Amino acid sequence: MSLTTLDNYFLPGSGSEVIELLQEYGERAMLVAGGSFVHGLAARDLLPGIDVFIDIQKLGLADVTVGSEGLQIGAMTRLAQLAKVPEVQDAPEWGAAKDALRYPPVQIMNTATVGGNIAAACPYFDLPTAFLAIGGNVLAQSNAGTREISLDDFFTGLFENSLGQDEFITELALSRPVPGSASAFIKLETNANDLAIVNAAVQITVESGICQSARVALGGGVNEIPLRSAAAEKLLKGQSLTDALLKEAGQAVQADISPMADHRASAEYRSAMARVLTERALHRAITRLN
Amino acid sequence: MKQLISLDINGEVHELAVAPQDSLLQVLREELGLIGTKKGCDTGGCGCCTVQIDGQAVYSCMTYAMSVQDKPVVTIEGIANNGKLDPLQQAFIDAGAVQCGYCTCGTIMAARELLASVPDPDEDQIRHAIAGNLCRCTGYQKIVDAIKLAATNSA
Repeated sequence: MSLTTLDNYFLPGSGSEVIELLQEYGERAMLVAGGSFVHGLAARDLLPGIDVFIDIQKLGLADVTVGSEGLQIGAMTRLAQLAKVPEVQDAPEWGAAKDALRYPPVQIMNTATVGGNIAAACPYFDLPTAFLAIGGNVLAQSNAGTREISLDDFFTGLFENSLGQDEFITELALSRPVPGSASAFIKLETNANDLAIVNAAVQITVESGICQSARVALGGGVNEIPLRSAAAEKLLKGQSLTDALLKEAGQAVQADISPMADHRASAEYRSAMARVLTERALHRAITRLN
Repeated sequence: MKQLISLDINGEVHELAVAPQDSLLQVLREELGLIGTKKGCDTGGCGCCTVQIDGQAVYSCMTYAMSVQDKPVVTIEGIANNGKLDPLQQAFIDAGAVQCGYCTCGTIMAARELLASVPDPDEDQIRHAIAGNLCRCTGYQKIVDAIKLAATNSA
């Protein structure tokens, strides 16, 4: 992997050291967590001028805490570690995360981190879509202290996020859905190792047969960022979730996306698959209720 | 600028100078002569370069040498015990799971993590464990057979 010639590779031991390095090296520096997407960034020519890596593995940040408010996931938590959390494996409300963690090969699961997966703001990644459906906040640290950024506001463009120059992710806090909720995620891919053609995740809350709330998220190149479909969510809320309505919700997402065309798929195909996957993810979430 | 670091490879500590961008794969092959670990795609897609770090299978092509200082790294050269092949190595020979051989070392290293945690895996578990390792010769069946055989022989 001879991507770029680095001038230095730092392994700071504290958050304040990370911030000092980010301030000192500015545009020359990139934060590295698991490092599994560095080649992906280089292949897309997204590392111009970067010659300093700041590896944050010595900060710890690898604890997963399950509490009444939800799941607090340290930024350096490897995907394999998150997949093994009993609550993630069993509870219907984290179903979308469980589903999304089923796809990557073991080598990526052991390397990639939750923080890196979000920070990369790659439109083809799976976890951001699953996390958007569940909802939560990104915690970021800088000289000004720690702030919370809603996942809904975190992704700002193609490989762009809302972190400041001297800011880095310390944690992802997923909100615990109210009782009666379930979520699910589905990915369409060419093979086990490939990025998504399209992915879809949903979270629904149902009481007495009526959908109290719905969150519908799409990713995998349906836009420059993973996003939620307001049209589909509005359609589902307050209704009985019949097969016909789920089909309509699938159609509704097509109005909210602007799919990209690339070597994996045409924009038309992505749009058609976004419709299909949304409907299927809804069916899967419903089977997890109760 | 090269930096002096120490790496724990197959139980032996090596002091060596690496460039900050050097991958673990590069250092293994070019500095230490451990060429059992193969360079395939060099972008984390084929699995030929799989090694174990802290007992976990990872792609050494996307792992920076700087990032694994003092973590135990095990390569294919380190799994035989006192001249006796690891059960997986022997099973790959006995089951005829090697054709061109390029993917073999990486596949064995991925399977090794599986057998450490799941001593008696079913076929789904085996296929999932090697999903990150591409083989263009065998069609995978004999590889799956070999991993089953190794599990049986280790029981």
